[in-house]
Amino acid sequence: MISLRGVTLVYPNGVRALDCVDLQIGKGDFVFLVGHSGTGKSSLLRLLYREVAPTAGHITVDGIRVDRLRRSRVPALRRHLGVVFQDFKLLTDKTVWENVAFALQVTGAHTNDIRRQVPRVLDLVGLSHKSRMYPNELSGGEQQRTAIARALVNNPKLLLCDEPSGNLDPTNTTEIMELLLRINLKGTTVVVATHNQAVVDRMRRRVVRLDNGRIVTDEERGFYFLGLGQAQVLSG
Amino acid sequence: MDWGKLKFFLGEVARNFTRNAGMQITAIGTVAVTIVLLGAFLYVRAALAHLGSDVLNQIEISVYLKPDVSAAQTATLRTRLAQDERIRSVRYIPKSEGLRELRARMQGQIDTTILTENPLPDKMRVRVRRPEDVPFVAKNIRAMPGVATADYGQAVVARLLQLGAVARRVGIALIVMFVIIAGIIISNTIRLTVFARRREIAVMQLVGATNMYIRMPFICEGMLDGIVGALVAVGLLMLARGELLAKFNGYLPWLRLNATQADLSAIFLELLVAGAIVGIVSSWIAVGRYLRT
Repeated sequence: MISLRGVTLVYPNGVRALDCVDLQIGKGDFVFLVGHSGTGKSSLLRLLYREVAPTAGHITVDGIRVDRLRRSRVPALRRHLGVVFQDFKLLTDKTVWENVAFALQVTGAHTNDIRRQVPRVLDLVGLSHKSRMYPNELSGGEQQRTAIARALVNNPKLLLCDEPSGNLDPTNTTEIMELLLRINLKGTTVVVATHNQAVVDRMRRRVVRLDNGRIVTDEERGFYFLGLGQAQVLSG
Repeated sequence: MDWGKLKFFLGEVARNFTRNAGMQITAIGTVAVTIVLLGAFLYVRAALAHLGSDVLNQIEISVYLKPDVSAAQTATLRTRLAQDERIRSVRYIPKSEGLRELRARMQGQIDTTILTENPLPDKMRVRVRRPEDVPFVAKNIRAMPGVATADYGQAVVARLLQLGAVARRVGIALIVMFVIIAGIIISNTIRLTVFARRREIAVMQLVGATNMYIRMPFICEGMLDGIVGALVAVGLLMLARGELLAKFNGYLPWLRLNATQADLSAIFLELLVAGAIVGIVSSWIAVGRYLRT
């Protein structure tokens, strides 16, 4: 699904965000990207949805050579994937239904498709009963679920989440993570950048750890901190 | 036809348009001023074209005969001129009649009784079918025996054409200036809307809307500014035509400024198209700048 080879990203201001990164993520995987703030987690995601282009290296997402993608082809790539952010990025003057439908409307979907797809994803995230409410009438968790519904309404094969629980309390965080897991079980590849230790440690999924723009470890069923897994094995 | 799609699109345009009412009015006003200028210019140009062709159609060549010309020579000259296909009419005015005409015209201004003898030459008034033949016919006549000179007010015609050219240049400069100003103001208006909607634009880009799709509502908004401005201008011009033209023609009856109805609707259509184009181009530039960064 995702393949990065020798990817380096240097921003125009000279900051080296990523340094020769190699990473393979298979179809249907669930992967955590962890690391301190400013270690390149968000930069890595932004490369995948082509918010920025790499300075060097090859990037393939769902068969598309993202590093060579022409500007005019970027919308086509974005329709293949969903993106969720810490700050939700919902439109405050639109209802839940309208926010989700918006993603289809602006990509030229037929009205009949919109009427079919929006209820489906709202049901998936459990917000069918709040579809007429505005974002500021919802809890943080519900807002994030709306954002996830919007990201999923195009039926993407890949869901990218940049600190999805950054603004949420532990209860809502758990709900969101369970939702992401359900989405993953339906076959969608999910990549989550986070520094929420509790979430990572509880879910025991693949953990890719970044430090200073480099991948330092990549564990199949990892913990937030390096070596915790071995410690637990020893103590158990 | 997907009516839901159309409704959504029109809703977006309407929301953009009503969001910055003050700025929108400024933009429309500037377009209106520009278009009024452009309209007045086009109207005056059309009227002048009419006037010009009127004047040209009325041009007659005054053929002055030599003082010693004989009656037989005069008769030959008249038949030769009458045979020329380009000439519509020839009127012979002997000097006695010429003097009578002069006396009638100058009555009360010059005391013509002081004239002890008739100083005027015999004369012919020649009218030509097509105005553009005038110079050639005049040249032809000058070469004929018994003719002293043939005159058709060259200086007046040349002056009229020159005046027209200067007026046109000033008018075009003025219009270009105002088109630029209107463009800048529309472009700033659109940029305000773009700024107000930057979150929506960000989401659109995120979910894979094409730049063309994102651009469309803003282009329509600019086009609306241009067209509404042009409509206001056309209304003002209609009013001005009704109110001012009568007065103007009252002051200067010899300058019969008038254009036919066909000319007017053509001009108004041109103005609407001009307004729409200014709106489209300036909003295209405004959004394009935002989308590229």
